[in-house]
Amino acid sequence: MNGTWRLAGVGLVMAVMMAALGLRLWSIQVTETNRYTTEAERNLIRVVQTPAPRGDIYDRHGELLAGTKPSLAVVVDMGLVEETFSEELAQRLAAFLDEPASAIIERFENANSGAQLILAQDLTEQQALTLVEHREDFPGVAVIPQPVRDYPNAELAAQVLGYIGKPSAADIERPEVKGTDVVGKAGIERYYDDQLRGTEGDIVYQVDAGRSVLQRLGEKESAPGDNLILTIDSGVQAQLQESLQGGLEMARNLEMEERAEALEEQDVRTRLFFANEEAQLQAQRDAIAARAAAAEASEDGTVDEDSVEVEAPEGIDEGAVLGSLYWGLPVDANGVCTPVQRVEVAVGGRTILSGSRERTMRLDAVLENRSQPVAIVDIDGERYEVEEGDTFATTLRAIAVDQDALVVSHSDKWCPVRAVGVVEDPNDGSIIAMASYPSFDPGAFVDGLTQAQWESLGTINAFTNFAIQGQYAPASTFKVVSYVLALEEGIYPLDRPINDRTLGDESPAPDPATDEAVTDDVAVGEEETTTTTTPPPSDDELVPLTSDTDLYNCTGSLRFRFNDGSSQVYRDWKRNGHGPLNLHGALQASCDLYFWEIALRVWNERSDESGINNEDLWQEWARSFGFGSETGVDLPFEKPGLIPDRQWFREEQRKNTGRVRSTGPWVGGDLMNAVVGQGAVLVTPLQLGNAFSAMLNGGTLWEPRVVSELVNQDGDITDENEKATLGTIDIDPETTRLLRLDMQQVVNGSIGTARSAFVGFGPNVSRVGGKTGTAEIIKSTEDVQEVDTAWFVGAAPIASPGYVVTVVVERGGSGGRVAAPVARQVLQYLMNGEVGVTPLEAGAEAD
Amino acid sequence: MAATRERTQMSLLRRDRQLRPDLALVIPYILLTALGLVMIYTASAPRLEALGVNPSREVEQQAAFVLIGFAAFAIVSVVDLRVIRAWVPAIYLGSVVTLILVLSPFGEAVKGAQRWIQVGPIRFQPSEIAKLAVILGLAMLLSGAARPMKWDRVARAVALVAVPAVLIFLQPDLGTMLTFGFIAAVMVFIAGATWRQMAALFVGGLIATVGVFQAGVIKTYQITRLTAFLDETSDVLNTQYNQYQSQIAIGTGGLFGKGLFNGTQTNLRFVPEQSSDFIFTAVGEQLGFLGSLFVLVMFGIIIWRVLVAAANGRDRFSQLTATGVAALIAFHVFVNVGMTVRVMPVTGLPLPFMSSGGTVFVAMSVALGMAHSVWMRRSPLVGERTISDE
Repeated sequence: MNGTWRLAGVGLVMAVMMAALGLRLWSIQVTETNRYTTEAERNLIRVVQTPAPRGDIYDRHGELLAGTKPSLAVVVDMGLVEETFSEELAQRLAAFLDEPASAIIERFENANSGAQLILAQDLTEQQALTLVEHREDFPGVAVIPQPVRDYPNAELAAQVLGYIGKPSAADIERPEVKGTDVVGKAGIERYYDDQLRGTEGDIVYQVDAGRSVLQRLGEKESAPGDNLILTIDSGVQAQLQESLQGGLEMARNLEMEERAEALEEQDVRTRLFFANEEAQLQAQRDAIAARAAAAEASEDGTVDEDSVEVEAPEGIDEGAVLGSLYWGLPVDANGVCTPVQRVEVAVGGRTILSGSRERTMRLDAVLENRSQPVAIVDIDGERYEVEEGDTFATTLRAIAVDQDALVVSHSDKWCPVRAVGVVEDPNDGSIIAMASYPSFDPGAFVDGLTQAQWESLGTINAFTNFAIQGQYAPASTFKVVSYVLALEEGIYPLDRPINDRTLGDESPAPDPATDEAVTDDVAVGEEETTTTTTPPPSDDELVPLTSDTDLYNCTGSLRFRFNDGSSQVYRDWKRNGHGPLNLHGALQASCDLYFWEIALRVWNERSDESGINNEDLWQEWARSFGFGSETGVDLPFEKPGLIPDRQWFREEQRKNTGRVRSTGPWVGGDLMNAVVGQGAVLVTPLQLGNAFSAMLNGGTLWEPRVVSELVNQDGDITDENEKATLGTIDIDPETTRLLRLDMQQVVNGSIGTARSAFVGFGPNVSRVGGKTGTAEIIKSTEDVQEVDTAWFVGAAPIASPGYVVTVVVERGGSGGRVAAPVARQVLQYLMNGEVGVTPLEAGAEAD
Repeated sequence: MAATRERTQMSLLRRDRQLRPDLALVIPYILLTALGLVMIYTASAPRLEALGVNPSREVEQQAAFVLIGFAAFAIVSVVDLRVIRAWVPAIYLGSVVTLILVLSPFGEAVKGAQRWIQVGPIRFQPSEIAKLAVILGLAMLLSGAARPMKWDRVARAVALVAVPAVLIFLQPDLGTMLTFGFIAAVMVFIAGATWRQMAALFVGGLIATVGVFQAGVIKTYQITRLTAFLDETSDVLNTQYNQYQSQIAIGTGGLFGKGLFNGTQTNLRFVPEQSSDFIFTAVGEQLGFLGSLFVLVMFGIIIWRVLVAAANGRDRFSQLTATGVAALIAFHVFVNVGMTVRVMPVTGLPLPFMSSGGTVFVAMSVALGMAHSVWMRRSPLVGERTISDE
């Protein structure tokens, strides 16, 4: 049949193919078997991964901020190391690298069978040559190029750049990250880690039967990551960092001077009084902190009062207080205060606590028989029993109590902590400079920090970018929000009866109708301008001001009455007040009362009758400038700040966090605090600078950015980070113009709170404007600082600003005194060049 | 081998069962399977032992499937193909459905290919079942073909194959798709296609291939895999690594081989996938030319017996089914062995009965069982004894 033939045909074809295979096998396995055997001997192939260099980071002018330096590393391919030989190999490598053999042996043992161990980095050329030439002595060992991160400018822009390190558990979950990689841990290095990484390459080695590397067979080059172009200007950044450092040192020196004066003036009784107050406050703080911790720990955020353990404040130990007050506080090597020191002492050992008079601390024993270890400490003869977390001897807090050591932090609550600054371009939201001091060198991470270095830098929070992570009370700088609200909504304070305005005063208010500043001889900081002696008017005598030019009597204090009949006196920062001022004068002299009155009007008229009808009007304005939410800058860990309102207040009470009064609702007094940037208001320095930028550029709220472009190795742009807006605020151009004018007067005008700080500025001072702020709060959550944060926000050229400079000094004292001079130096650099920068001098205490 | 005694007595053509199995089919089947198990053990045991795991784990897994496969073979051998024929449309449709499912989120991807479905505790490859379904489907379709075959039957055959083939191609699984092509060509040819029709199929296949390349549907790596084996000097590092190492390993086997387990200490260490796609390499290195030849001869015998069964099948459906089975086994052997010695590209086709893999073994056993069933119900040779049903 035809079918059978076909089948036979198919069968034949298959037979032929089988035969062909058989012949091929014969050829390979019989005829040429020797050739294969030889090739097999020579032909082992191993692949080693080569890490990719990270992309470079440049400033806006092309200056290199972070790059790569080439380095050679020794790699051991564990897959080629025979068990029996591994110890011998370790010995040889130890001798060659001058390292302990035991360490190498341990690494061999812990490695997977196919792993590639990087044993040593930074090989010299000579060492690399030796290894290659004697490769038969080192089977399985190869030399590969390893790119190492290099920061040529050390501390410049450290917090912005961030640093790199070993991946954490969360990082390893990313598919492209291996355990042996490095990843960005903070800053740009972290935010743009994916783009900076690049892709690793392979080197394929031919290895012979003796496992020694014969030659490279092929190489797939690693592809470096993209390069980043930042908006940072290195020159401005360097000046900012220098000024911040100088400013912090100046602030600390001022603090030391004040203490010296106080010591002379105060008698023993006053010292004890202050110490008592401090102890009470500390007890309150502990209670609040304990409640907050319990609230966090409990599931629904509420706190059961009974379950919170708070120790009642004991009577203070007068001897200890006198012994420690002022002379027990930590000082650095120059005798200047330092906000915190980390002190460690071993059992049976002793250490010196620094201070203007040194004390000796001995750790006598650690008792382990209680629920927690208890350290028995002796300080100059005084005995203390200390558990972890305890505060003792006024300034010491036990961080860790181990069976063989005690670690304490020795803190000075009055010493200025840090200085933070941001320079932003209000025309597109680019960050020109950003820093906080104390700072660090990211390059130190590349080789690895010692535990001690890590801890000491960590104690002072050198790694944190406080420009976006620090949340502070903005104080008087926040008055600009109410300023804009007043002009846009037409809400002005209730004033005293008209006939009171005839009370004379010496300083004329500036006339906003003209662009020139009216100057006279009265300098800020000299004696007060007016006193008022008339009795406070009753409410129905009060007349609302109707325009920004109407004068208001800025006295020294205001009495606010609560619903329950009690009342509280609010004092202006200037004890005797400022005299009659209109809106513009109130901003320039930073009169608190004027703005409190605006708050009261918003508060009192929040019902239908007079048309304001919006209790949250002020909060809306604040939020429209970006306060209370993140700016979205391309850096990690940004904090949102806080704009408090009734709803937030209620939540805090319900959760019993202790951050607000436990009874009673949100009241007008809370709004008054908020309006002058105190109370619960929190902002980050970047947020504040960004908001000022929006107000000064006519209403465009930018999303700030640090990176402008990503560029590949050939110079082609791979991605652009274009300027973007968070929103537009509808502000009348006239409002913007008036604000610029008033800010210019803060710096140049007779009642301006920053005037003394800008004396001697040099040319272009009339083109500079600003706003000071001094925050006085006593709160104790972890991310809110304590007393007297000094602020200054400056802008230049004020007619159409190209720079907004924001400076804050934690525990710095007065804004006009400490923060303004720092900003002044930066503004000098910006307006007059490097030669225009004059040495730092403290300004007069103002605001 | 069926006895041919009593030729003088012609028995009537009674469609009865023949209970005597074809030992020439069964013995090589069992031998190859056993050898496969041994090879899997030598390939996997040292590695597993180094990991601290039971060294027999892989072999034990495979042995379990072997038992299932043997049982399947026995059962299918006894079943009349006519019974199966009634179910063919359902089998075909069911197969297409599982192929679609495998591409959906329901399917699982292993090493970049969507080839598996998990149903409860069982994981299987629909493409293996599809091979059987297509053989049966084509057999059914072509069994009604006229002589000479009409073009529309050819077209329908193409369509029947194309649907699952395309679905498999999308997984992507180029090798299995090519298997379908080969099987279809052989079956159509045996079914009586004219030379012109065969030419048309061939040309059509070429056009389709070119079209697919042009459309960029085939990924570069698939092309490289196909073509790189031709170039001795080409980049040994990437696609060629497996084949290169395999060729060397086989070459070092020599005439008698290095002996069991001695392959795994030296060159076989560098051949990945030893227990699956490259199991022949293990044979070559450890058992030498003699071992390789033995395996080839065993396969040769099996294929020959299946073709003989096809020749003696009592109806066209049976004949064509057996033909398909022969093509199936033959293609796998050629491509797999050819791959290990670098005359064929790397396609991922396993070696029947020897490569590890449960679904593959059971599917192949069923296929062989079907061919065996054809043999056991064949038109009796002159003079054969038969056992009557009645």
